[in-house]
Amino acid sequence: MVDLNKKEYRKREFLYLVPLWLLSLIVPDAEDLYSYQRKEFKKRDFFYLVVLLLLPLAWHDPHFHHLMVLAGIYAILAMGLSLFLGYAGQISLGHAAFFGIGAYTTAILTTRYGLPTFLAFWVSAGVAASAAYLIGRPILKLKGYFLALATLGFGEIFLVIVRESQSITGGVIGIFNIPYLSLAGFSFDSYLKQYYLTWGVLLGLLLFSKNLVRSKVGRALLAISASEDAAASVGINVAKVKTGIFVISAIFAGFAGSLFACIMATANPEAFSLGLSILIVMMVILGGMGNLYGPIFGSILLTYLMDILGRYQEWSLPIYGVILILLLIFFPDGIGTRLGIRLIYLISYWSKKRRRDEGKL
Amino acid sequence: MDLWPNILQLLSSGITIGAVYAMVALGFVTISRASQIINFAQGEFVMLGGVTTFFLLKSVNIPYPLAILMAISIVVIIGFLLYILVIYPLRKASVLILIMATLGVSIFLSSTSGLIFGTLPKALPPFSGAKPFQVWGVSVVPQNLWVLGTTFILLIILYLLSHRTLLGKAMEASSTDPLGADLLGISRNLMTFLAFGVSAGVGAIAGILITPIFFTSYNAGPLLGLKGFIGAVLGGWGKNSGAILGGFTLGIIESLSTAFIPSGYKDGVAFAILLVILYFRPKGILGSPFMDSRRW
Amino acid sequence: MALLVVEKISKQYDGVQALDQVSLKVERETIKGLIGPNGAGKSTLFHLISGMERPDSGKILFKGKEITSLESHEISALGIGRTFQTTQIWGNMTVVENIMAGMHLRLKGGLISSGLWLPWIRREEKEALKEAKEILEQLGLLGRWKSPALQLSLGKQKLLELGRSLAMKPDLILLDEPAAGLTSNEEKQLSERLYQFRKDGITLFIVEHHMGMIMEIADEVVVLDHGKLIAEGPPDRVQKDPQVIEAYLKGKRVHA
Repeated sequence: MVDLNKKEYRKREFLYLVPLWLLSLIVPDAEDLYSYQRKEFKKRDFFYLVVLLLLPLAWHDPHFHHLMVLAGIYAILAMGLSLFLGYAGQISLGHAAFFGIGAYTTAILTTRYGLPTFLAFWVSAGVAASAAYLIGRPILKLKGYFLALATLGFGEIFLVIVRESQSITGGVIGIFNIPYLSLAGFSFDSYLKQYYLTWGVLLGLLLFSKNLVRSKVGRALLAISASEDAAASVGINVAKVKTGIFVISAIFAGFAGSLFACIMATANPEAFSLGLSILIVMMVILGGMGNLYGPIFGSILLTYLMDILGRYQEWSLPIYGVILILLLIFFPDGIGTRLGIRLIYLISYWSKKRRRDEGKL
Repeated sequence: MDLWPNILQLLSSGITIGAVYAMVALGFVTISRASQIINFAQGEFVMLGGVTTFFLLKSVNIPYPLAILMAISIVVIIGFLLYILVIYPLRKASVLILIMATLGVSIFLSSTSGLIFGTLPKALPPFSGAKPFQVWGVSVVPQNLWVLGTTFILLIILYLLSHRTLLGKAMEASSTDPLGADLLGISRNLMTFLAFGVSAGVGAIAGILITPIFFTSYNAGPLLGLKGFIGAVLGGWGKNSGAILGGFTLGIIESLSTAFIPSGYKDGVAFAILLVILYFRPKGILGSPFMDSRRW
Repeated sequence: MALLVVEKISKQYDGVQALDQVSLKVERETIKGLIGPNGAGKSTLFHLISGMERPDSGKILFKGKEITSLESHEISALGIGRTFQTTQIWGNMTVVENIMAGMHLRLKGGLISSGLWLPWIRREEKEALKEAKEILEQLGLLGRWKSPALQLSLGKQKLLELGRSLAMKPDLILLDEPAAGLTSNEEKQLSERLYQFRKDGITLFIVEHHMGMIMEIADEVVVLDHGKLIAEGPPDRVQKDPQVIEAYLKGKRVHA
């Protein structure tokens, strides 16, 4: 960690520290991106919480609200994936399928069987979890490219099944008129209410994840990621832990999917394709692996990016492809790490240079 | 049973598409052997082969044979560019990053192709006429023979190149024993660079061969690429022979399956085969030096 | 009853007989050394004992129970720890977390209870942290407890790996070339520590190339050559065994 020796600072250079301090309030600092720095809540977390609570009230643009709701849903999805990908180090290119399973389960149960949305919410997560368990046991034996391929295959099979099961899932067209989520008479029908709903769920899941990651489960995940042999040598049942965290990530995806269905009011196969799986993995990568705020930031960033790109119509995908590649080349450890460290080095280099120049005079 | 001629027909189209899968699989294995990288954009080379030829032929009015050669060259150059612009900068990156990068390339190539060449499916004229003729009760078009014949010749050429030329032997060496090859001065980067070119070329040829029969469009890439990969795993990952056998086998099984299940599920068949293979015999049909079917 | 019994173990790789009918015993609270020229099959034997591979034939018994076909983690759970030839510490965690992760089996939390951070989980974690720090202090690593494990020097990393095994409170630790890459000073410190562990009741089975260290601390030594066991006994007797000398010299002649 860079040590900015305070004694050498002059008043003018102190001004440079202000933006750095502001930045450190916002971006997870470099230390945080390594999992071992897992303290109890910091001041910065409260800052985030306050911003989160007040943001939609301060800014009344409905489009902004809509985007934040979407970002919140994807953040839940990405956070679940990050437990599997960022902590346990396993690759999944099929998480959009669990998301879709959650969405379709809610859609089917509420529109065809009249199940209350609140119940459907939980059932969806359960169905996604079961699917993950069934798929997980055989697949998780694979590593690297082959696990990626197998999860991708699972995602594609899910889409094929959905497209072909016209009677249950509405085929290519999908299901419409999914009711809003409601609880004891209170219906989440406006973007504002949905915002607090999704981010509320996210906060709950974030707390759960934070606890998980701070405990022996978190250590087991990291151990598996760094060295499976060593993990087995201390008694960690690698297969069981991998399956377990796979299922948990699917549960998160199931929750997210259910919310998605209740908010978008429709469910169709196009929303759950490989493209989404790729997007979510990018959210985890860009946020920085091995930390829980990363996927949240990644989700906000990429949701906004997709929105901006959407204005370019046909050019959106080619530009997206190029941006994707560039981000991977320049920020493979996540935007936070490089950006944070580079900014710190930049500022300290800048101030040292100034000192040197002025010293020479 | 009167299902028989139908089965044969399906077999025939299965072999044809199987040839394409085999060539895509070969492309995967070539790159993977040189560099341990799996190029998820492989299918795009196939798509680009067909689409570019179509463009040169119909919009620029270049005579067919010349259009084919130019298209192949263009796709090979794209393969080289892919290496230089994306793979080389990421040569030290993790498996995950490489997968995502090649997926990004796939997104870029397919959407750009749709943008430049349009999103309508494209068909190329068959090489020597469209008149079908009967072989053992099966309707066959000349193009089928072109596909099989060219595949066969291509395989022979590749075999000769890799076993009889110095460059080919260098590539073989680089993939079998990277450290040893490195010590001998064989540059892994150069071998990978060439591997990308070869895969792109093979993919383009496959695309051009198949477009007269099956059409091609801007988004055909990912699915083709994945099926090729599945074929390579099915046959035994890491070996050329495995790639070819697996590609044909996949094509045949996929085609035959349409006799028993609704055609919409056809694409799912390949993935179902993948899951089955990875679960029961990850080594594949011919066995693989890389996959361990034991514990992990 | 011997703690670890290896009975007529054989293992073949691609036609090469890595281990050929090897039998040996490791008694409780002793230090047993396993030496032999390169390629003799020493690491293979460890792989088989710790469950990373299966033998072609033969049996392995630990505390009287057969462990030949058990999974790696099941074998560890029975009380066998191990260190690796290429040090496999977990670089993505801090030093203290490496030790705490070693306590995995002894902590009772599950997925749900951990996620909910139930009060007893909190208590368990606090105690685990305390104990982990004690282990680190024993090994002289306490000063770096919060550092990323990657930042330690090789010698310290090897100690960390050892500490991780200790955290399991095992009955037997398999050490695969623990002195590799250490300076002679570090080696001396390691020998003293290993000696202390034996006094604390832990049995050690060590594969080593550094003859000096093994001969000093081992109670008994076993020699493997080309997969066959060629000598077994106290260090000074084995050292003088003509077959052993032959095996080592033979190796030297080939490489000269």
